[in-house]
Amino acid sequence: MPTYLENLSEYADALRTLKETIITNIVLLGQEPAPTFKEKTRSQLFLDRLSDFGVDECTIDGYQNPIGIIRGTTKDKAPIFVVAHMDTAVSKDVNHNYVVNEETITGAGIMDNSVGVGALASLPFIFKSLGLKFESDIVLAGVIQSIGRGNLRGIRHLLKTWSTPIRGAVCIEGGELGRLNYSSYGMIRGEIECAIPMESGFEPQFKPNAILILNEIINQILQLCLPQRPRSRIIIGKISGGHKHGLIAYEAALGFEIQSDSDSMVKTIFGDITDIVNGAGHEYRVDLKLNTISSLHASRVGYAHPLVKSAVAAMHRLNLKPVSEPSESELSIFLAHDIPAVTLGVTRGRDYHREGATMEIEPMFNGIAQILGVILAIDSGVCDGV
Amino acid sequence: MAYDWLKNNTFHHSEFADLERLVEAKQDKNLKISLCLPTLNEEKTIAKEILIMKSELMNRFPLIDEIVVVDSGSTDRTREAAEAYGARFYPAADILPDTGNFMGKGENLWKGLYITQGDIIIYLDADIKNIHHRFAYGLLGPLLLTDQIKYVKAFYDRPIALGKNKLRSTGGGRVTELVIRPLFSLFLPELTQIIQPLSGEYAGFRGILENIPFPIGYGVETSMILDIYTKWGLEVMAQTDLDRRIHRNQATLALGRMAFVIMKTFINRKVKLGLIDLKKQMFDEMIQYNHVENEYQPVTYKMEGLERPPMIEVPAYREKFVRGN
Repeated sequence: MPTYLENLSEYADALRTLKETIITNIVLLGQEPAPTFKEKTRSQLFLDRLSDFGVDECTIDGYQNPIGIIRGTTKDKAPIFVVAHMDTAVSKDVNHNYVVNEETITGAGIMDNSVGVGALASLPFIFKSLGLKFESDIVLAGVIQSIGRGNLRGIRHLLKTWSTPIRGAVCIEGGELGRLNYSSYGMIRGEIECAIPMESGFEPQFKPNAILILNEIINQILQLCLPQRPRSRIIIGKISGGHKHGLIAYEAALGFEIQSDSDSMVKTIFGDITDIVNGAGHEYRVDLKLNTISSLHASRVGYAHPLVKSAVAAMHRLNLKPVSEPSESELSIFLAHDIPAVTLGVTRGRDYHREGATMEIEPMFNGIAQILGVILAIDSGVCDGV
Repeated sequence: MAYDWLKNNTFHHSEFADLERLVEAKQDKNLKISLCLPTLNEEKTIAKEILIMKSELMNRFPLIDEIVVVDSGSTDRTREAAEAYGARFYPAADILPDTGNFMGKGENLWKGLYITQGDIIIYLDADIKNIHHRFAYGLLGPLLLTDQIKYVKAFYDRPIALGKNKLRSTGGGRVTELVIRPLFSLFLPELTQIIQPLSGEYAGFRGILENIPFPIGYGVETSMILDIYTKWGLEVMAQTDLDRRIHRNQATLALGRMAFVIMKTFINRKVKLGLIDLKKQMFDEMIQYNHVENEYQPVTYKMEGLERPPMIEVPAYREKFVRGN
């Protein structure tokens, strides 16, 4: 058995004795609102916590990503990155006061991604408490502007400006425990905006309706034939529009995402949607705009890659069953830079994107132990020379 | 009136963020510190409060020696939540049972003196939603780093929770501004320098706390200030800005009852000191009115303003705490 697997169960037990500090990090960081583009206060607190725990170097990079570096025992090994996105999809106005009880923690944004950020901030304390030392420098990066319109800007900037090779990376997500992502879709995230030009004075009663036009566009999108190979899909994820019940909607917007194993298929489908939008604009004589919010290239390390195998072994050692699906998180950017990386989930939870999002405390200890296992595996050289 | 006290004895919690320095001071002075949390149905906030204090001020920095919860008879899971994170939980009724049992925060604080071991006791309300360990170390700082200060009160910007997802960024000090500050201005203007005399967070040396009486209910904060001021003077007191505290909002009628008890406590103290004369005994019922089916119906609340004597006068306490001072 590789040495990095030997002590994982003991680590999980030891982590239970550190629960107050791990939960404190989750709560203190999670209670600081951090909607995308407004992560500054949480980032500063994250950095303060790293500094409190004696991390060797704490800094904010040129893009405002907070970063801590724990110096390794040798100078000739490339660093290992451990990252979690700082931002949440929760507005600042929402109540961020968490409720802790014996088995769960409840609060806005906890699963995506306060528990991930809290676990990341706890790593220096955990390493020290468990007596873990690494040959590589460990770079703990809280990356900003990741989700939605953030378009992974924080991690893109960090990797673009990082000047030395990177040995491997672990991306931490709050949930779900058992996830093991090692590939990412090709993806285009887009938004269709429909606006009905308003005229002054009396408006005709039967003008085109922005919501109905988007409805027509949805119907046409649903009629597109998508291949089974390469696997491809279109997600209609978001819709908004209108002013009040008795008034024709003058504005409406539709958010969608195209995902596919193949970049060229993403491009083809996007071309089809562009045609649908242009056709509807022409037919109904309304303003229709198709905006691209973000895009990603499909990339992957294979299941046979030693990093993936090590992650699977670590999870099995902790009686976790790995579930693998493509992901479009920070992982994509690492893979795009040819840096071997995986995404792991910390714990189980429910209502991820609601105000009453809840995480379970007990599974978290195995979740963090598997992260330690993968970091140890990378430090033992599983990614070297592959 | 000079405002020297406000200038000299007002601190900000950030002045005490160097926790190693506080731990050194604690060890140099050979002190024990207890954190006492009075509770009544606080299952939503108590665990968070305990675990943050335990993590930061017990496990990481050995500043607090014990966390004790004194409970007025919660019917929710306050006990389970508190014990799950390592606090010692005591129903108030089980402490000094021979002295009887009353419901009220002051009663819990008084009994907390008996059950705790510390030379310094920190009292924090258990309903603080944005709890942070600064609430404790901000109060401890002046006690540990100076020699003359023996009692520290918190003050803060107090947004109040107005229901789901709504916070009001000012206010929360209505009883202070409408009742206490006018009374202080009329009789003891020096005490107006205390920014939030009714704040529920304070810390003090046992030697001070065991020598003052404790009203069992709302009047406890007012009486503490008046009694400490009268016995030892303003110079032994300090106040620390803890920035922001989010707590439950209270209805106006509930604040009215609070104001009743506070005024009664204040007037009783003034009578005792000979500062005012009462020609007639005060009543001990607060009468409020509800509008029901086109009629105003009186609702009467009996609030006798009972007080516990200084703990040092309780024989069982003296037996337990035999000290040289």
